[in-house]
Amino acid sequence: MVRGPRRKLYTYMAVTVLYALVIAWWIVFFSRQDEILLGRMQRLGAELTPAQSRALTEATDDSMRMFAFEGAFLGLLLAASVVLVLRSLHREIALQSSQKNMLSAFTHELKSPIASAKLYLESLHQGRVEPDKRERYLAHAREDLERLHRLVDEMLLTARMQSVSPQLTLEEHDLAHLVERGVQNVQSDPAVATLAIQLDLRGPLPVRADPRSIETVLRNLLSNAHKYGGASSRVDISVGCLGRDAFLKVRDRGPGLRGQDPRALFEPFVRGGEKLVSDQPGSGLGLYFVSELAKAHRGRVTAREAPAASGGGLEVDLRLPLADGAAATREGDRA
Amino acid sequence: MSGEKLLVVEDEAHIAEVVCDNLALEGYEVRTCADGNEALEQVRQWRPDLVLLDVMLPGLDGFAVCARLRAEQDQVPILFLTARGAPDDRVRGLELGGDDFLAKPFELRELVLRVRAILKRTRWMQSPHPAGDRLKLGDCVVDFKTFQVSRQGTSTELSPKETLILRALAERPGEVVSRSEILDRVWGYDAFPTTRTIDNFIVRLRRMIEDDPQNPRYIHTVRGTGYRLTP
Repeated sequence: MVRGPRRKLYTYMAVTVLYALVIAWWIVFFSRQDEILLGRMQRLGAELTPAQSRALTEATDDSMRMFAFEGAFLGLLLAASVVLVLRSLHREIALQSSQKNMLSAFTHELKSPIASAKLYLESLHQGRVEPDKRERYLAHAREDLERLHRLVDEMLLTARMQSVSPQLTLEEHDLAHLVERGVQNVQSDPAVATLAIQLDLRGPLPVRADPRSIETVLRNLLSNAHKYGGASSRVDISVGCLGRDAFLKVRDRGPGLRGQDPRALFEPFVRGGEKLVSDQPGSGLGLYFVSELAKAHRGRVTAREAPAASGGGLEVDLRLPLADGAAATREGDRA
Repeated sequence: MSGEKLLVVEDEAHIAEVVCDNLALEGYEVRTCADGNEALEQVRQWRPDLVLLDVMLPGLDGFAVCARLRAEQDQVPILFLTARGAPDDRVRGLELGGDDFLAKPFELRELVLRVRAILKRTRWMQSPHPAGDRLKLGDCVVDFKTFQVSRQGTSTELSPKETLILRALAERPGEVVSRSEILDRVWGYDAFPTTRTIDNFIVRLRRMIEDDPQNPRYIHTVRGTGYRLTP
């Protein structure tokens, strides 16, 4: 656990125990009021008539009921506040731990290209490089700097996503239309242009979405399909609805999950199911962004291996809730 | 000395290439591999003289590779090369039996110097001791070749570091050997954050060698300077 939240937790637990002790003392004190009163009267030598004694018992019983009710109410209030505070501390701890992991991952990712670019340039500077290798060293140093540039851009985007949840303009759009337009825009990317994309759009599907984010999702998924899709360039994109959700599925014909946990693909700096595999350009943040954008749309994203009988490959499935009213009218229209 | 075998375990292809080329230019025979399990296989089969080991590796990470090798009693020298340069990581790597630690990004010259220093220490450890391979301290016999201390019929295994410390002291019997000199010869000049580490090793050695570790007869502390061995 992180030090800050732990200290807060201990302080809060101490205050809670103190409150609980005060409430317990308060209940005990009031429940003994009739005994104390009777004791005092006996010490004063006062004699009560049976009617007076009954009236006193009734009065203390009424008070007891009131104290029991108030005690229970305060106890409940205390329990509720414990739950709320613990939940908030838990969230704070999770956030701090995620930020710490992210920082450590970024540090590693930044230092690697800096280290290799520095070593290439140092070797060139010291004249230790054979003439036939000079061009390659320069090209590799440039690739390292480009990787560094991409990483810095993506770090800034991640920082924006983590500090304020992404500033999205969520408006009602037809997901099928957004995907169609998004694919057209993304195809200007030379890598994506080589893919044979098959579209299956079953709209209209009204969702509250940010068009630019949907395009980012498509760009990242198609870029991954290009990098990890293996020999086949075929990619299937299907859009439809299932229950109260609209779905966008992107499937390549590559090697699929290769035995990896599909949830791990959405963690930062995981590439092709294996951490830090550097035979492909990329930072390992693409699917992490897709998952963060899905959350910002109140949706979710999962990955699974497509059945081998239908050609295999990896299928990424983004679900967004259908806009109010649309889900009801679409009952029965299951894809 | 050239021709010594170095294994570079690094999953970043660019770093592996440039490190390999530069070490090959120094005259070493260099091989690379990109994951922890393959590194274990290479160490077992190729028997390198030094392993340059990245910490964050796919499959088995560098710390796990080091721990696995030490558990197999494989004392091949290990130089960690990693982007994780925090003191905790350095200490962990060295505690697991690593010999030195170099944080990325590093200077080529420093890398080459550290490689040379580790190989020099290894050669020193493997070279015959001037006074023979055995050191007799009362009824206790230290064997520098088998890393064992025998005493009254029982023998105890010494770690390579313990053996090296004893050797550094035994090479100059009766003379004071400073803590920093021991640190330099046994670990390399800046491998550990504090020279107090040696004091802990000395405490362990006294327990094995001395009749009364509180009043040592053979390994004496010279206050503020270092240690002296009087056989």
